[in-house]
Amino acid sequence: MSNEFNIKNIAKLASINLSEEEQNSLSNDLSIILEHVNALSDLKLDSQQQEIFIHPLEKELELQEDEVVESLTHDEAISNAPESKDGKFVVPPSME
Amino acid sequence: MDASNLSIREINSLFTKKELKPSELYSKVFENAANSEAALHAHLTLFEEENIKKAADSDKRFSNGESASLLDGIPIAIKDNINIKNYKTTCSSKMLSNYTSPYDATVIEKLKEQNTLFTGKTNLDEFAMGSSTENSAFGLTKNPWNTDYVPGGSSGGSAASVGARSSIAALGSDTGGSIRQPASFCGLVGFKPTYGTVSRFGLVAFASSLDQIGPITKTVDDSRIIFSSISGEDSRDATSVINNQLDIPSDNSATIGVIKELMEDGISDEAKNEVNKVVEILKSKGYKVKEISIPIIKLSISIYYLIAPAECSANLARFDGVRYGLRVDGNTSYEMMENTRAEGFGAEVKRRILLGTYALSAGYYDEYYGKALQARKEMIDEFAKTFKDVDYLISPTTPTQAFKSGEKTSNPLEMYMSDLCTIPANLAGLPAISIPTGLSKDELPLGVQVMSKPLSDNSLLDFSEIIENEVQFDGQPKGWL
Repeated sequence: MSNEFNIKNIAKLASINLSEEEQNSLSNDLSIILEHVNALSDLKLDSQQQEIFIHPLEKELELQEDEVVESLTHDEAISNAPESKDGKFVVPPSME
Repeated sequence: MDASNLSIREINSLFTKKELKPSELYSKVFENAANSEAALHAHLTLFEEENIKKAADSDKRFSNGESASLLDGIPIAIKDNINIKNYKTTCSSKMLSNYTSPYDATVIEKLKEQNTLFTGKTNLDEFAMGSSTENSAFGLTKNPWNTDYVPGGSSGGSAASVGARSSIAALGSDTGGSIRQPASFCGLVGFKPTYGTVSRFGLVAFASSLDQIGPITKTVDDSRIIFSSISGEDSRDATSVINNQLDIPSDNSATIGVIKELMEDGISDEAKNEVNKVVEILKSKGYKVKEISIPIIKLSISIYYLIAPAECSANLARFDGVRYGLRVDGNTSYEMMENTRAEGFGAEVKRRILLGTYALSAGYYDEYYGKALQARKEMIDEFAKTFKDVDYLISPTTPTQAFKSGEKTSNPLEMYMSDLCTIPANLAGLPAISIPTGLSKDELPLGVQVMSKPLSDNSLLDFSEIIENEVQFDGQPKGWL
């Protein structure tokens, strides 16, 4: 496994603005953690079949009936918004 | 006898016989909180005023002989990552410091149906990421046994609250040991049920395939009562399962496995001694005990610290300053988002989001996340094989007693290693419990963990109660009552 990573790039992907100081300390932490998790690369698995699962008990995903059920009202759903107007979320422009 | 020291069944019996009123017990736990809160900081909010009327309603039900629930009038504290309608749910994060929940978590709905009295919201490591409750944006919680030490985490506030008798029991959440480790550090029972048996609807998600809500209590029976009240299939949680319990023997016809890999280097002699003590007791009662090797357990931390951060990076993408929580201004939406997340998340949360983002990023997905998923599946299969030979697996809950505040904060990996014994149960979805068994030479609690196959929670609790009765641990922190 490779441990080369570009902290600025990862922070961009994660949408977190990091200070210079944070970039250094987090880079250092991530290197130590990645070195530890590299132990996995030595693991010889019986099966190379990659099974993607979402449930440790192997529960099958079930589709729900398409029916109207009680849920939050519009006002409740928007009640925690930092900024809203006419029942809609307000955000800064997407482009400068 | 101080009623706040009693078990739920004992308290219910006093209520029923009209020898104690729910309102009296409710006042008592708040008296205890008043004595301990300044030193321990177990809670982020206390609810006393709001529930006095509800306590009086409980009084009336018992007075009229109308109460039908063991949890009626029982004061329970709730970890602050579980939503209670019209109360704040902060997850101990600056990001959610002003968030008021517009709905109840399923577990809260169920406890309300039982007429439980909530005492408050407890402190945690931010978004449940941590093992010491030192990562809270709102200050540390201290261990009620000795305030120089951490209470464990991430449900450290819940454990400190029950430890100091500021509540009779508490709910926590456990993603890699966050119920069992603080319970062990505070001399309490901590139970993580089988994945899917308790709905996660209304629990703020950290790592969805690992998170599970469960109780922190003084006794195994208290955990059983709460588990039976909060479990059940829920259509609002797609991973919820029908709680069809398997019956496995808990008497001495059961076979017990001691996990070799959790009795080796990295585990303190004191922690091993507790396991050996319990093993000797079980042998003397006629149980068959054998050593079991599950080599892949040694990779638990590596697997966990790829899967949990990967899921966390996806789950915490929702905190973008748009719909709820903190917003820090920016010239564009994207800048606003980056500034909000920079300001709103603490160091450990950023560390895990970045680690997860990296593990899921193009070019690295297969070698990190994909490999960890394969290894997790391998671990599940290994446990399944093991449970053909043994009924229960026993190990220390934690490699050592509680550590001192500040001792591990500068080294994240060292902090992560404190979850070595608890993480495997989350990866495999198993029910697991920590039972307090003794004290270290520093007079701090030590616990033993027992795991069993998925959906054998009730049998696990029965077996744990046998251990509890045999060990007779009756220690409690001093100076708070």
